[in-house]
Amino acid sequence: MTPPWEWIARACHIGLLRVASLLVPHSQRAEWWHEWRSELWHVRHACAPMGSFSLRGEAEVTAFCLGAFQDALYLKRNSLESRAHSPALQGSAAQCLLTLAALLAACYAVALLLPGVRAARILAPIQIGPSLVLIQDAASSDDSSPSILPKQFRTWKARKQQYFDGFAFYRVTQEPVRRESALSASGELSGWGVAHASENLFALLGLPVQFADPDSGTYNDMPRVILSERKWKREFGANPHVAGMILHLGLGKARIVGVAPDGSRGLPGKVDAWLLEPDEKAFAGGAGFVIAHLTAMGQSEMYAAKVHITQFNSDNSEDDLLGISLDALTPGHWTLFSFAVILAVLALPAITSVSLGEYSDCSEGTSRSRTLYRWAFLSAKIALLLPIVYFLSLDLAYANTALPASSSAYIQLVATFSICLFSFRWVLQDQRQRCPVCLRRVCNPAHVGQASRTFLAWNGTELMCMGGHTLLHVPGLPTSWFSTQRWLYLDTSWGFLFAASGPAIKSEPISGLSPN
Amino acid sequence: MAREPKFVEAKLSHTAALILQALDAGFIYGFSIMEMAGLPSGTVYPAMRRLERDELIRSQWERQSIADAEQRPPRKYYKLTPAGRATLEASRKRYPLLERLIPSEEAKPV
Repeated sequence: MTPPWEWIARACHIGLLRVASLLVPHSQRAEWWHEWRSELWHVRHACAPMGSFSLRGEAEVTAFCLGAFQDALYLKRNSLESRAHSPALQGSAAQCLLTLAALLAACYAVALLLPGVRAARILAPIQIGPSLVLIQDAASSDDSSPSILPKQFRTWKARKQQYFDGFAFYRVTQEPVRRESALSASGELSGWGVAHASENLFALLGLPVQFADPDSGTYNDMPRVILSERKWKREFGANPHVAGMILHLGLGKARIVGVAPDGSRGLPGKVDAWLLEPDEKAFAGGAGFVIAHLTAMGQSEMYAAKVHITQFNSDNSEDDLLGISLDALTPGHWTLFSFAVILAVLALPAITSVSLGEYSDCSEGTSRSRTLYRWAFLSAKIALLLPIVYFLSLDLAYANTALPASSSAYIQLVATFSICLFSFRWVLQDQRQRCPVCLRRVCNPAHVGQASRTFLAWNGTELMCMGGHTLLHVPGLPTSWFSTQRWLYLDTSWGFLFAASGPAIKSEPISGLSPN
Repeated sequence: MAREPKFVEAKLSHTAALILQALDAGFIYGFSIMEMAGLPSGTVYPAMRRLERDELIRSQWERQSIADAEQRPPRKYYKLTPAGRATLEASRKRYPLLERLIPSEEAKPV
């Protein structure tokens, strides 16, 4: 009687072969399986015959079965290589689109992996509402420097307003900061930009505080502080349980209640921590920034993302103020991207010809479908390239988390413009070299004629579609009678030349286009 | 497009040369080559695939009736092609010990 472990060993060996067979290309699998099953029978017969179970014999059979994986992997690799070198795929439209799709996936994956990009929450942004404005002195030309005095703000806030229904004030000061737990260890941290802000600032902005402690409402013993995302990562190692820790800010103490969301990064002033204080404390100091929420009437007064305000003081003097939409002040990534793409499109004629050359379809019945096919391919390339450029520019702009938001925005703008410009150039050049019949890239360039005989005969470069559909003639020197590239459609009589190199030639009459 | 056979390619690896020699000596299925050459299955089978791809050997399934008569599954047999034979000749010059490792008279009858 066969012992049960012998059956188990046999089942394991068959299982190993079955798993290995999954690696074999489908077209070869049946024969591969047949051969290895047959060989296994013979190996077992020689090494571990039925009824004489031995560990050594079973080990030999197992080693034999494990070799099947190497064989299967070889066949798989060989199949992939031959597919990659298949003339049907080489230079084809499908290959081009697949490459672009792979590139897009890679750029998106990098965007997801880079901590800077993830931290910026670009893939799921929290936007500041369009009805929020930064109010500053109309005479001030710099958005990043504070221009509103606390006294001005207090007077103004006390008055009944028609355009605004909510205000918050903050002023930024440099203060030494240290963590309470670090008193005896690492000691004092470097100076931070601390924003002394109205308690309602984040509620007004509509930005939820991250990693907030649900019990933070009960902390009334000391002022509350919200960390910027940058400091939270650098100084606290992105600890999600940061809420509740105590910071020494200047001469006082404050309890951390959360991390500021990314939407706050666009606010003027380099802020490392937001210290939420009652108005009387926040106002005790120099000039600051005022954030206000517009009413419906106020929004109707907005023009070009700005609203002009005149404030009447108690001494009958007037202050001219300007409200700038925070949305416009901190352009989103999409705004920057769109702007750079438009710039690149405008600059494109400076670096390449935007003409796609002369297409003279020879068959009336198919010319429309071919034209549609060509345009669909061109559109697909652009549609894949734009997200590639978007994610690539984000990767470049936010790779370094230490950079300020303005520098990242600048890098994104420049990167988008440059990549877009050269990508569009490539798209046009690639399209010009695609056979109008099969959309494969033409190849085998051959120089024809002599440059010195340009005015007597044609000279230029001739390229060939490996599918045997067309020849492309590109003039060496554009002339009035041959200014741009032309296609020569080949008929079936040329088929014998291309029989082994690609798809069969469709029956096409010669269009009559010839270089001369 | 069919690959051009590597006729007198003297840069055949030692493993491939050993397999060709084993085939020439009459060891004409995978397991017998493994036993003769002392190579593991993970080396012998992929090498035979490469040789078959390069048209140095070709394979053929044994007739089912023969296998049935011997109460065993049919085997896949391998055979040298003329190109394989020429390559083996060139390899013997490169690896002079090849013939001594697997002499032809050791071949088992099939």
